[in-house]
Amino acid sequence: MDTLIDLAGGLAAALTPQNLVWAFLGVLLGTAVGVLPGMGSAMAVALLLPVTFRLDPTAAFILFAGVYYGGMFGGATTSILLNTPGQASSIATTYEGHRMALTGRAAQALGTAVIGSFVASVIGTMVVALFAPVMVEFALNFGPGEYFALTVFSFVAVAAVVSGSVVRGIASLLIGLAIGMVGIDGQSGTARFDFGSSSLLDGVDIVIVTVGLLALGEVLYIAARGRSAPNFAAIRAGRPWLGRKDLRRSWKPWLRGTALGSAFGPIPGSGSEIPTFLSLGLERKLAERRERRTGERSEFGRGAIEGVAGPESANNSSAAGTMVPLLGLGLPTSATAAIMLAAFQQYGLQPGPVLFERNADLVWTLLASLLVGSVMLLIINLPFAPLWAKLLKLPKPYLYAGISLFSVLAVYAINTSVVHLVILLAIALVGLGMRTFGVPVAPALIGVVLGPIAETEFRRALAASSGDPAILVSSGISIGLYALVVMAAVIPLIAHLRRRRADRAADVRKPAGLV
Amino acid sequence: MTTDGVDGKPEVREAPAPERTEVPEHAEAAGTAGAEEAPAPDPEKAVWRGPTAWVVPALLTVLGLVGVWGGLTIEAPPNATRPGPGAFPAVVGVLLLITAACMAVVNLRNRATGDGTPSLAWFEGRPVLLVLAGLVVHVALLEFLGWLLAGALLFWTVAYAFGARAHLRDATVALSVSAAVQVGFSLGLGLSLPGGFLELVL
Repeated sequence: MDTLIDLAGGLAAALTPQNLVWAFLGVLLGTAVGVLPGMGSAMAVALLLPVTFRLDPTAAFILFAGVYYGGMFGGATTSILLNTPGQASSIATTYEGHRMALTGRAAQALGTAVIGSFVASVIGTMVVALFAPVMVEFALNFGPGEYFALTVFSFVAVAAVVSGSVVRGIASLLIGLAIGMVGIDGQSGTARFDFGSSSLLDGVDIVIVTVGLLALGEVLYIAARGRSAPNFAAIRAGRPWLGRKDLRRSWKPWLRGTALGSAFGPIPGSGSEIPTFLSLGLERKLAERRERRTGERSEFGRGAIEGVAGPESANNSSAAGTMVPLLGLGLPTSATAAIMLAAFQQYGLQPGPVLFERNADLVWTLLASLLVGSVMLLIINLPFAPLWAKLLKLPKPYLYAGISLFSVLAVYAINTSVVHLVILLAIALVGLGMRTFGVPVAPALIGVVLGPIAETEFRRALAASSGDPAILVSSGISIGLYALVVMAAVIPLIAHLRRRRADRAADVRKPAGLV
Repeated sequence: MTTDGVDGKPEVREAPAPERTEVPEHAEAAGTAGAEEAPAPDPEKAVWRGPTAWVVPALLTVLGLVGVWGGLTIEAPPNATRPGPGAFPAVVGVLLLITAACMAVVNLRNRATGDGTPSLAWFEGRPVLLVLAGLVVHVALLEFLGWLLAGALLFWTVAYAFGARAHLRDATVALSVSAAVQVGFSLGLGLSLPGGFLELVL
């Protein structure tokens, strides 16, 4: 009951005209950077930091929160229409979303994404506000051993969920892990793989990897595809609209996605990639089961609305969920959260249990403004999505030229250094190679983000037990997670072997038929 | 069912286009005019054949060797707890080598059964090299030419690689976009992009 009163107080504070303006600016800017490939909300918040230094903390954080949520909404638009996810969290949406757009159902895809995002944001924020203490307590139970188990689970889940070929998925993950090892080792302070360059001591920034693999790598790949590249002219956006049938198929994935996102969002290290891909996998499995039971054909692979509704909801509710460890523990679980933590410290605030006591009004105003921001995002995204779709009318040469320009800009803007641009070029080449040879890109991104966390927690756990590896499996939580790892590894392997046997059988039949 | 990466599907052209409206204004610029094209294969399912099949295993081997080398040579400070900073690189390096070996085995097996057709016939090297050249020139000249000119040059080169041939209009668009970014960033966000020699002249 206390929480509701606190939230109402926060709502009153958030609804002052001045704070409303900041929230509106935030969601506008967030949608814009979410839409622009290679520019995520993390970068926008980073760029805003120096600008907002003179604002009072509450206004600044309302602005940042708006950018954060806006980025999530905006990311869906380009994932669906252009197949260029603005940030890693919207990769899962591209698979089915873009296929829906290619088959002329972009309006429905956008509609289910926006409404699903809204539902998930509101529910997710309410969950954060109502269950923050409980969730913080759960997350507090995690020791280094549990964190490590969690990252291993994420690795296996991603390599298995994302890729068509397990070996290629693992290869991609390992490439990401290798990139993540560059720089000063946080545990011992030893420089690793710096190859004599001082720029590499800080490691390869995740923005560089994301922009290189996703944005610039995509440009190079589309250039290589030449005439066989997809033609955007076939895509019609239209006003987001959901028919009765789409609504019936959407609402359950919305809720399932929201539940997944709320469950994973607060867990440090899981980010929004895991729940979005888990949701995508879950919806696909459910659709296949429905096909067997009722004969309703699964549309996965041809643009299934469930494959948009689920991941988008998971994306937004996990974005809300990451606020729990950020505010409650001072622990960032995503790039944007990490930068917001830096912002808190800039204002001399230390997130954690103390923040809830000393700056309670700031926390509750922030949470309430997230609710306000969600309503604003629904309003500016639902009727105006065709406006974003105008991007499709851009001539293709200009579109890719623009993406290249923004990619270079995004990376240059982080450090204003040319060396980082050279790293970007190298990673873009790796991205081109991976795409050309059909190695999925997403596991590499997960590897870069989670690799250092996995290593740190592993070594911290062993340091705490003075080298006794039993600490890694010392609690029910970690044993449960490892059981899930085995399941996640074995089930796709069986499916893979079965598929290969079927393929072989088909291969044998085909030449016979030709002769 | 596989999730094929971030690439578009060849189904595009079969897609029903109910209201085939106006031909895009820049039809000559859009490089995809032909109607009867061989659909590109889906790379994520395609089997690697020919010499290019060894590119990814080779890359993984090199990365793996670097990782193992780092694991063996990185010196831990004397007070560091075990496992030290070299442990993870060594493990990842060994895993990379194992993965490369798995791919090599698959390749050898495919060579015995395959029909030997190259799988990368769709790859067009020219536009890729053009884009890469544009990027390299941009990076090399950014601080000398300044953002305005280097950015415009990059935009123009990439547009050219993608088939834009209206040179005057392309150049105008390139300069406007580049200028808009520079103005927006320095006025709006207070971030200064390099002015280059123009700063000295003006």
